[in-house]
Amino acid sequence: MAITADQILDIIAEEVPIERSELKPDATLEALNIASLDMISVMFALEDKFGVIIEQNDVAETKTLADFIAVVQAKSDAQAAAG
Amino acid sequence: MGAVSALGQGLDATWSALDEGRGGITRIDRRVADSEIHTFAGPAAVCVPLDTRALEKRSGPRPLAHLDPFAAFAVIAGHEAMEGAGLLDHPVLEQRTAMIWGCGSGGNQTIEDSYARSFLKGATNVHPLSIPKQMISAPVSHLSMMFGVQGPAFTIASACASSGHAIGEGMWMIRSGRTEVAVVGGSEAALTYGSWKGWLALQAMSDDTCRPFSLHRHGMVLGEGAAALVLEDYEHARARGAHIFAELAGYGATSDAHHITAPHGRGAEAAIRAAHADAGLAQDTPILISSHGTGTPLNDKIESAALRNVYGDSLGQHRVIATKSSHGHLIGGGGALELVTAIQAMNAGVVPAVLNGLGPDPDAQAPVAWVREERRFDAVISNSFAFGGLNSALIARRI
Repeated sequence: MAITADQILDIIAEEVPIERSELKPDATLEALNIASLDMISVMFALEDKFGVIIEQNDVAETKTLADFIAVVQAKSDAQAAAG
Repeated sequence: MGAVSALGQGLDATWSALDEGRGGITRIDRRVADSEIHTFAGPAAVCVPLDTRALEKRSGPRPLAHLDPFAAFAVIAGHEAMEGAGLLDHPVLEQRTAMIWGCGSGGNQTIEDSYARSFLKGATNVHPLSIPKQMISAPVSHLSMMFGVQGPAFTIASACASSGHAIGEGMWMIRSGRTEVAVVGGSEAALTYGSWKGWLALQAMSDDTCRPFSLHRHGMVLGEGAAALVLEDYEHARARGAHIFAELAGYGATSDAHHITAPHGRGAEAAIRAAHADAGLAQDTPILISSHGTGTPLNDKIESAALRNVYGDSLGQHRVIATKSSHGHLIGGGGALELVTAIQAMNAGVVPAVLNGLGPDPDAQAPVAWVREERRFDAVISNSFAFGGLNSALIARRI
C-alpha cells in the first residue's frame, strides 16, 4: 500500500510534535526547528505503522519536508516491490 | 510551591482535600498491554488527569509529549511553583538558580513499554526516545529547559527520601552562596506492573488501605505525582516582593548504615536531632510533625520510638500527621509533597486528620492527629526515612 504525503505529515505532526498546519512541503526541517532525534522518532513510527524501513543514511541529504516524503515513498515502493 | 497527586492538581486542590479529610486512595485493576496474566490490582492513589492549559500557553501544544509520567508530573508542579514565586522568565534563572530534583526510580512506564513491546509483542526494537524518557534525570532536564534555568541542575536518588534530600541540598546551595534561588522537589510514577510486583514481593504493600500508626495496618499504598518548592535567599525574595510561604530553617541528613530494607531508629533520631540543631529550634517547642508514616508495621513502630526518644516528655505537645494516608506513598516525591502540605497546614492553623485509623497501636505510640484539629504551630518538621537507611528531616518555620 502506497503511503500518502498526508499520512507522512500526520506522523511528523504527532511524533515531533508540531502543529500540522505548519507542515508545508517546501518548509525545511531546520526552519521548522525539527531535530534529527525527532526525525528518528518519525522513522520509528513509519516502520511501526507502515512497515517501511528507513535508515538514517537514507535521509541524510534531505532538507525539506518534500525531500523527506520523496525518500519515504521511494523506499516504501521499493520494499513493496521486493515483497 | 506546587503539587499534583491523587488529591488534585494545584496547592488549593491539594490542601482542600487534606483539610476536608478526603482521601485519594482507590482500587485499581490494570494489565500490561492485552496480556492475560500480567495483571495487578489493589489500593493505589492515582494522580488526577493533568490540566496542561497553563503549560500550553508557555510551551505550545502538547507540552507533555514524549515525557514519561514522572517527568510530566514534575513540570506541572514545577510550573505552579515558578509561577507562584513570580520567577517565570526572571533573570536570576540564567546563572544564579540551581535545580535539584528527587526521584526514586525513573521512567517506569517507559521501561515497561519497551519490555511489553519486546517480550509480549515480539518486537526487536524499541522507541528511539526510550532512554531520554526513562533516565532518572529526565524530569530535571525538562524543568531546566522549560524554565531556562542554567545553573547547576541534577537529580538526587535516595529512594523514599530523594526529595527530602533534594530540598535540603538545595537550601545549602543558597546558604553556601552558590546561588540565590534553588528550585527543588521530586516526582514519581511507579504505578506500573514491574514496580507494583516488586513492592508486592517485598510484602510492603497493603491489601486494603494505608493506616499509619494504626492497629491492623498492613502496609503502604503507592501514590504518584510531584511537588515543587522555590527556595530563595530571604533578602533576594524580599527585595522583589515575592510571596513567602515559610522559612526553611533546618535540615538533617543521616544514614542508618544498617540494612537495605529494615529501618534502624538511630538514623532517624539523628536526622531529627540534626534538623533541630540546624534550625536552632528547641525540641520542646511545639512542632507539627509530618511523619514518614508509611503504614507498614515496622516503619511506624520504629518511627514512633524515634520520636519518643528525641522529644521525650515534650512529645505530647506536638502533633503527628501522616498524609500518606491521603495521597499514598510518592516514593521519590513524598518528601516534597509532605513538606509542602505541612507548610500549608501550619499556615492554615489546621492539623489535618490521619485517615483510615482503626485505633492507636500500643506498639506505635505517638500523639497522632486522628481527627482534624484547629491548632496553631509555628514550626513543622517533615521526616523521610528511606529503604537502605537514608534519612532526611526538614524544618520550616512560620514567617
